[in-house]
Amino acid sequence: MKYLPLAILLLFPLSAAAQDSEGLEAWDRIYQVTAHPRCANCHVGPDNIPVWSGPSLGAPRPHGMNITAGDSRIGAETLPCAACHVSSTQPNDTPHAPPHIDGFWQLAPVEFEWFGKSTKEVCNQLRDPDRNGGRSFVELADHLKHDAFVAWGFNPGGKRQPAPFTLRDHVNDVLAWGVAGQPCPGD
Amino acid sequence: MKLTVNGTRHDVDVEPEMPLLWVLRDELGITGPKYGCGIAQCGACTVHVDGQPVRSCQLPVGDLDGEVTTIEALGTPDALHAVQAAWIDHQVAQCGYCQSGQIMTAAAFLEVNATPTDAEIDQALSANLCRCGTYPRIRAAVKSAAARLNEA
Repeated sequence: MKYLPLAILLLFPLSAAAQDSEGLEAWDRIYQVTAHPRCANCHVGPDNIPVWSGPSLGAPRPHGMNITAGDSRIGAETLPCAACHVSSTQPNDTPHAPPHIDGFWQLAPVEFEWFGKSTKEVCNQLRDPDRNGGRSFVELADHLKHDAFVAWGFNPGGKRQPAPFTLRDHVNDVLAWGVAGQPCPGD
Repeated sequence: MKLTVNGTRHDVDVEPEMPLLWVLRDELGITGPKYGCGIAQCGACTVHVDGQPVRSCQLPVGDLDGEVTTIEALGTPDALHAVQAAWIDHQVAQCGYCQSGQIMTAAAFLEVNATPTDAEIDQALSANLCRCGTYPRIRAAVKSAAARLNEA
């Protein structure tokens, strides 16, 4: 039942113009998620340095303690991210402590660089299989439903501001954007 | 709950959310790992889990997956680890409180980088704070330890 709106959309396709408009509206909400510090801080470029930014952290700055995740994106060359961001099933309830997931902490792959990028740039990235992990929009949505990092972004604990909307809304938006043909601003 | 620390199997009666550091210090009496900040901002509690550096104040013991090594078993008094020997050669410690964490992080780092540059040492060890400011001696000792390990 969670994805009923999408099922209806698939059964009763809208006109092309309406589809495009709804697709772009869905994209706008998707971008609000991808651009949110909770998500973008670890979707950084080839300098491999996570960013600290967000309401409680002020202007964007490099992760403290001279941290670099290296080309491995997991800190294997110097200090593993997991030295502090341990794998744990416990809730993230301590402010200022390193957040954790039930999994291995790491940066997103470098081709998924989102930090500081425009809505048009990120949209084109996410519909390009070479820069989205080779995923169709359905596979993107499936990834979102099962990825521990994504779930954490919407429930980060420790008084951190969560990503906007809900994970269910986000998955539905990705599906609606996909059904509409993955339109991007500037198309 | 069972865990292996420094090659010895232990059975402790604790809640799974208790941080590993508490278990080590308060339940097992292993006090080399130090309590500094409790939020992984200082590195004083660093131990190895299957050779990887971990801030033991952050790891709920119920999530521990692997064998723990603390400073007590990195080397022995008769056969110091190369990092410990270099620490003595360079007289790194001042007050000493952070040093077991520094040494554990350095030892794990040298396992993945046998010939580190100053910049790489700073990247690996900047999350271990030293209020006495022994950083120049730490850097020199890590380089000496690397050379010693490469001779071995």
